[in-house]
This record gives sequence, C-alpha cells and structure tokens, in this order.
Amino acid sequence: MTAIAVKRPRALSFGNLWISAGIIAVLLLYPVFFGKAMNFGVSTVLFAGFAMAWNILGGWAGQTSLGHAALLGVGAYTMTLLAIPERGPAWLHSVGIGSGAAIAPWWGILAGMVLAVLLSLVWGSLTFRLQGSYFTLSSIAVALILRLVAINEDFTGGSQGLFMPDLPTFFGLDLFDRRVEYGLAVGFVVITLIVTHIIRRSRTGYALQAVREDEDGARALGIDPARMKLIAFAISAALTALGGGLYAIYLQAFEPHTLLELPLSVQIALMAIIGGRTSLQGPVIGAVVLAVFGEVFRNLFSSANLLIYGVLILVVTLFAPGGIMGLFSRRGRRLGTAR
Amino acid sequence: MTALNAVTAPLLEARNVRVQFGGNVAVHDISLSARAGEIVGLIGPNGAGKTTLFNALSGFVRPAGGTVLYDGRDITRLTPQARARLGMARTFQVERPFEDLSVLENVMVASFLRHRGHKAEDLAYSVLERVGLSDRATQPAAELNLARRRRLELAKALALEPRLLFLDEVIAGLNPPAQAEMIVLIQQLADSGLAIIMVEHIMQVIMTLSNHVVCMAFGELLAEGDPKFVANHPDVIRAYLGEDDD
Ligand SMILES: Nc1ncnc2c1ncn2[C@@H]1O[C@H](COP(=O)(O)OP(=O)(O)OP(=O)(O)O)[C@@H](O)[C@H]1O
Ligand SMILES: [Mg+2]
Repeated sequence: MTAIAVKRPRALSFGNLWISAGIIAVLLLYPVFFGKAMNFGVSTVLFAGFAMAWNILGGWAGQTSLGHAALLGVGAYTMTLLAIPERGPAWLHSVGIGSGAAIAPWWGILAGMVLAVLLSLVWGSLTFRLQGSYFTLSSIAVALILRLVAINEDFTGGSQGLFMPDLPTFFGLDLFDRRVEYGLAVGFVVITLIVTHIIRRSRTGYALQAVREDEDGARALGIDPARMKLIAFAISAALTALGGGLYAIYLQAFEPHTLLELPLSVQIALMAIIGGRTSLQGPVIGAVVLAVFGEVFRNLFSSANLLIYGVLILVVTLFAPGGIMGLFSRRGRRLGTAR
Repeated sequence: MTALNAVTAPLLEARNVRVQFGGNVAVHDISLSARAGEIVGLIGPNGAGKTTLFNALSGFVRPAGGTVLYDGRDITRLTPQARARLGMARTFQVERPFEDLSVLENVMVASFLRHRGHKAEDLAYSVLERVGLSDRATQPAAELNLARRRRLELAKALALEPRLLFLDEVIAGLNPPAQAEMIVLIQQLADSGLAIIMVEHIMQVIMTLSNHVVCMAFGELLAEGDPKFVANHPDVIRAYLGEDDD
C-alpha cells in the first residue's frame, strides 16, 4: 500500500491556458491571411469578447440575460457622447464640469464601464432575489427601456443615433484604422479570457458555479447567491461596456435600432450557448462559428435572423446542451476539472 | 457527560420553535438544545417534522414563532448563509451535490468559506480522506451512488469547519460496514468538540451515539431524555408501532 505513491488530484487551476493561447494566436494571424476582410474580422472578434463577457453571468452564474445590448449600448453611447464636444462635454460644462472639450475615448469607455456597472447593480439587486426566469424577462425589458430612451431623447441623437466625426489618436494610432481596431478587439478578447481564467481559479468562481448548480445548496455553505450573481453581473457589465465602446469606434455611426435591439442581445447569448456556456473558451468558438455561418448565409440571415436564432437555440438545447465545446468533453463539462 | 452539561452553556438553544405551512403546523413549539461535544438524536416517524425543524434551525424556513439562540445570540432571523459563517453546518436529507463539479470541487466550495487557495484545496482533500471519498476526488458528483452522495454531503458540511452540525439521515441507506465507519466518524467529531444534532431512523444508531434523544410525531414533542428512557417511553413505542410501512 505505502509503496505505491498515489498522486494527489488537484482542482485549483487556471484551466487550460493553452487553448486560450491558441485562440489568441489564431486571432493575431487572421489579418495576415484575411487582410481584405477586416470589417468581418473586427466585428467577429468584438462579438467573441461580448460572448465571453456575457458568459461570466450566463455560464458561471447561470443567469441568462437577453438584454446585454443595453450594457453594450451604455458603453457605446457614453463613449460617443463624451467624444462629441457639442453633446456630452457641452452638457457637462453647463453643469460646471470640464471645459467643454471632447473627452478622449479611453476616458469615455471607462465612464461607460462605470455606468454599466451601476446599471447592473441596480438592475441585479431588483431582480436576483427572484428565482427562475424573472431575470431573463427583466433583461429584455431593461434593454427595451433603454432603447426607447435613446430613440426619444434629443441628447442621445434620437432615432438617428450618433455620428463621431473624429477621434484623437491612440498612442499615435488612428482609431478609425481597421487594423488598429482589430488589435483593440483582440485586446478586448484577451482581457475577457484573463478575467475568465482568474475566475476559474478563484473562490468566486467556485461560489458562482455552486450558485448556478443549486442556490440552497450554496447558501448552506455560507454563500449569498444574490451577492454572487451581482458580482458576476458587474464584471460582465463592465467588460460588455468596454467592448461597447470599441464597437462604437468601429461603427463610427450607429442608431438605437441596431445597437439596442433584441436580436443583438440574443446573438450574444446564442454565441456563448452554442460555443458552450460551461466551457472556458466556448463563447469565442461560438462567436466565430455563428459569425461565419451568418456571413455564408448572409441573405437568409438578414430576412429571418430571429427565426434562425430560435431554431439554433432549440437545436443546441436539445442535442448539445454543452455547446460545441461540450461535444469534446464528456457530459459537456469543462469549467471544472471533472473528467 | 451530565457533569459537562451542567457547566457548559448550550451552543444551540431552540425555544418553542413553531413552523407553519399555511394552516398546517409542521413543527409545534419544539424546544431543544445542544452543547459542544454532545450528540442529540432527533427521532420520529415519517412526516413528524424533523427535517422541517432542521430547516428552521438552519435558516431555510422562517419559524412562525419561537427563538433560536446560537452561542447566546438570537439568530432566529439570520439567513442560512450567515448561520453557516457563524459555524452551523447541515447536510440535506435529499442530497444536493453540485452535479457539474467534481467531488473535490464540491467540497472546496465549502472549504473556501474559511481558507484561500491551496489551503482550501488541502482542507477539502483531507476531509474527503476522512469520509472515505478521496479515491473519487476527480469524479463528477453527478456520477456518485447514493452512499457516496451521503458522504459527500457530510464532507461539505465538515469542510465548513463548523462548531455545530445537523445531520439529516446520513447513515440510512449505507451498507453495514459503511454504517459502522460513519458511526465511528460521528463519535470522533463529537469527541473533538462539535455539537451534533442528528436525525436517524435506525434506532440502534441513535441508541449508540446519542447523549440525549428528542422524539417528535405530527410536529409535537412526544418524549425526550436519555436514549433508554425515550426508547421505552410508551408514547414513542405507540408512535412507531402505528407506522407499519417503515
Ligand atoms: N415546504 C413545505 N411546504 C408544505 N408542507 C411541508 C413543507 N415541508 C414539509 N412539509 C410538511 O411538513 C410535515 C413534516 O415534514 P418533514 O419533512 O419535516 O418530516 P420528517 O420528520 O423529516 O419526515 P421523514 O422522516 O420522512 O424525513 C409533512 O407533513 C410535510 O408534508
Ligand atoms: Mg426528514
């Protein structure tokens, strides 16, 4: 007995860092081979980041949001409004803040992240005490309300939306250059991956999974489910708003009908679910697959995207509840060390 | 034991706890207390209200009346998570493993309450060794059989490093050797200073382990006292004889 050295199993780990490294390498190589398709590249990589950010709440905490467009919108609108002198800065100046000059996008994005976190904390503390699908329903409503506000207020550009004529350079780089935007988008994905790996190893990550699996079981172990969900939501909101700011730069001009619509929220959720919400990097895979799919069947998508999304949700939940990554691991488990 | 009881104040004291579901009184003004190092056996036929009493004491249902004192402090309105942090741990009669997590990870969720990083992992693993589950550490909890799920319940409770432990039928359903192991373990835990309140249907287990037995039926107290006294109490015998299906 004692002669056999039994290897003691470990659970505490950042998860498979090699997969993330591989994903980042592939993303960095994309412009080398597809330099002509940078629009597709930037938006796909941004959505990979959105799906990763969504999954911190949707996958780790198990709270399905169909309103992440609201958080994305907060990031995009805040950053853009602050970048256009006659809108945000002028208003701030009128209440005695600032000089009325344009505010640099990085500060605008930071402000958007703060606002998104505040929104998520208010929204979460109102809804997380209720169990079941109330949160999902509320998330649709919140995005809808923000959209109505954006459409009806002159300040936010009404239904016309906003246009950013120019931006300062970022360390000497032109922010409207697609290659620069691509780099920033990859940086966004890298941040979401790092945050996810840190969660994977942390006490917070364990508590979130416990809450997802069984709230009462988690409470018995000293975990406050509402608090854990709020933490996940705040992290998810901050990252989504960060991506939202980058998305606004990429779009340069946007309107509430495209940015704050339900299909955008569904698309983000679906990318994570298709990729595998209980896998570390699944959302990135889902985003790429869905984006390529959408590009190949572009005509089909533009006329019936919600219908296609509906069918995809059905197919995935029925045949591959663990998503694409789930197909590669037994029972679709990947977040944990269970094999 | 009586000498000990006389000097130490109870760690947990429930006074006239009453639980109602609509018009149904599931627990009718029950009082009980447990001291450090003491094992209190809670018995009663099916549906007597034992689990409901546990739920009230651990914060999962709000009592309609009565008070719960822990370490001299009124905790009647505290949430389950706050009670867990104070040192109260429970198992669930119907096991609640986090199915997507491995056995070790399940226990780490608990050991993270008081430890960080590798310390939490080490504690979780040593608890698994203690309950005899370390060979299953990497297995998904969903794949455990009933007996092992019971052990996992206990492991999670122990990894909280509690001072008070509620055990809701952790022995029933185990095979005889496993039962014997569990009995030894529970005795060791009490000897190390834990206050234990346990629900068990197997009379012999209750007789061996308990310092004090409380018997309830239909939510009411039938009898309490030392194990022999309760086991021979006419009301208790009647309540158990009246139940043919057990
Ligand atoms: N959440 C609930 N809502 C309504 N009634 C409940 C609830 N929980 C328990 N009851 C009722 O309370 C009574 C006591 O149930 P309880 O589970 O506490 O009994 P028990 O003594 O643990 O029984 P067993 O030995 O079968 O575990 C039963 O009549 C049960 O139907
Ligand atoms: Mg019971």
